[in-house]
Amino acid sequence: MDKRTEICRCEEVKLGEILNAINNGAKTSKALKLATRAGMGICQGRTCQPVLEQIISYYTNQNIQETPGLSTNHPVRPLSLEELAGNRKDL
Amino acid sequence: MTYDLVVIGAGPAGMSAAIKAAKAGAHVAIIDENPVSGGKLLGQLYHEPDSGWWVGRNIAREMIAKASSLGVAIFRKMEIWGIFPKWNIMLNNGERLTTEHVLIATGAAEKAIPVEGWTKPGVMAIGAAQTLTNFHRVKPGKKVVIIGVDPLSLSVAQELKMAGVEVAGIYPPPATEVSSDKSNPKQIIQGLSAMAHLAPNALLKAAGKAANHPTIKNIAAKCYPSFGVKVWGIPLHLRKTITAIEGEKQVEQVRITAIDGNGNQKNGRTKTMGVDCVCISGGLYPLSELAEAAGCDFVYIEELGGHVPLHSPELETTKDGIYVAGNITGIEGAKVAMAQGELAGTAISSRLGLLQKGSDAISEAQVKVQDARANAVITFQQHIESGREKLAQCWHTNVQTSSGKG
Amino acid sequence: MRITEHPVLGKLEKKPVTFSFNGKKYEAQAGESIAAALLANDIRILRYTEKHGTPRGIYCGIGHCYECRVMVNGERNFRACITPVKQDMQILSQHGEIL
Repeated sequence: MDKRTEICRCEEVKLGEILNAINNGAKTSKALKLATRAGMGICQGRTCQPVLEQIISYYTNQNIQETPGLSTNHPVRPLSLEELAGNRKDL
Repeated sequence: MTYDLVVIGAGPAGMSAAIKAAKAGAHVAIIDENPVSGGKLLGQLYHEPDSGWWVGRNIAREMIAKASSLGVAIFRKMEIWGIFPKWNIMLNNGERLTTEHVLIATGAAEKAIPVEGWTKPGVMAIGAAQTLTNFHRVKPGKKVVIIGVDPLSLSVAQELKMAGVEVAGIYPPPATEVSSDKSNPKQIIQGLSAMAHLAPNALLKAAGKAANHPTIKNIAAKCYPSFGVKVWGIPLHLRKTITAIEGEKQVEQVRITAIDGNGNQKNGRTKTMGVDCVCISGGLYPLSELAEAAGCDFVYIEELGGHVPLHSPELETTKDGIYVAGNITGIEGAKVAMAQGELAGTAISSRLGLLQKGSDAISEAQVKVQDARANAVITFQQHIESGREKLAQCWHTNVQTSSGKG
Repeated sequence: MRITEHPVLGKLEKKPVTFSFNGKKYEAQAGESIAAALLANDIRILRYTEKHGTPRGIYCGIGHCYECRVMVNGERNFRACITPVKQDMQILSQHGEIL
């Protein structure tokens, strides 16, 4: 794949940046996320996570881990303070 | 509010479970972020060998009516931002639902295939094209190409054509670090022949038959014509791929290059074709973030589509009271999802003490899941059965090694 | 772009509503998503990204990817693919600014 191909659409992270992070020691999607922000954007890795896992597996020669690597935290979905306070505006 | 069961996801699995449990007398809530219930059913449209057209939106409508009549509380346009012991479901309108039983039926998301230019408007996941065409009745493009040759993309190609969209070609994705077998013509042919035996769709059936033909199987990858083979009037290419999607602001053209029998690009020469839409089909993976947030244990099983929450034969996860059904347990069709939903609804009703003593309802529901799997007209994962067996093994090992539950 | 006749689903019953996108008026079908309504009018560019300002449109179509988020009646970040269009809705494409 061309190094300029975008991998994480939300944070606009390209393959080249991912490969740099792997060369610098990132071996899990969580480490990649911390190094590049890939998977950290508004979709929370829903689009790029399987791709990140495959890239890591390919370049580090490891199997994909049992647990989805991005470590899901609360809130699972983007949430504004207004929504949290129960003031969600409905259309 | 307190419920006996909170179902997350109003697709075929979640709706079936809600109906089953409500019928048994449970007080059930079902939550979905979409404005219309039905999940992926809404976009489905295919011809069944015995019963005619399967129009998913009509099935969804019947299920919604049924659930409403049974008193199921249906929450639409609501996202869940958290799930806390034991169990509190947090909605994004500030509301909190309390329950002892949760069914996570969040379905699947699409696996991306990054291709140069794939972020341009006009490039979309194959499922988006399906929903736009069959549910919203809007053409995803005037002239469309599809990247990815699999049962879903072949079905959607025919649905697009039926709706009057010009499908200019179906191509394997370019061979990259992440494409694995999907860009290998030999593997594609083998996959189609294994998955299209009962195909409900002329295109898929023809492709599957062609792939099953011994001569074609042996020589196809090598001698497949460079102009493709027209199936149902749609060019199916195995010796060309799309290497880039181009356009100033949105999709205007694709760059096409020849590949050999193993998917490798033959020479640097490319040509372009004008299109306004590109659909990417990379397969589906179980969408399981809520199960992860709830602390469920996971296993990675390629044959099921990815990471799945470890679960019992009654569909309970490693967290007490949290169940899963549908594509979150592995990628299969709507009918399997519905049967799994009924199983989860039955198992939860049993725990609530709503089934008669000595009832065989749970094992009957398990048999129905197996029947639905055996009679599926489309298979999305080539080795689904062995994936299910692996999972059962993992569960067995887990039960043996851990005495208590979380 | 509208599929008015369909061999299996039949004829599309018209239920027109009007809305605006970036200040211009368009017609939609009542109840359909904002993304579908815009595509029916041949509009694919829904927003511009934060970092590089590149255009984005519908990607997943079912609320997972958040690529299609638009501003509706002055509020940001509605997913166009799962937000139904309504009469007189004012929709703007988002540019650059943070969430």
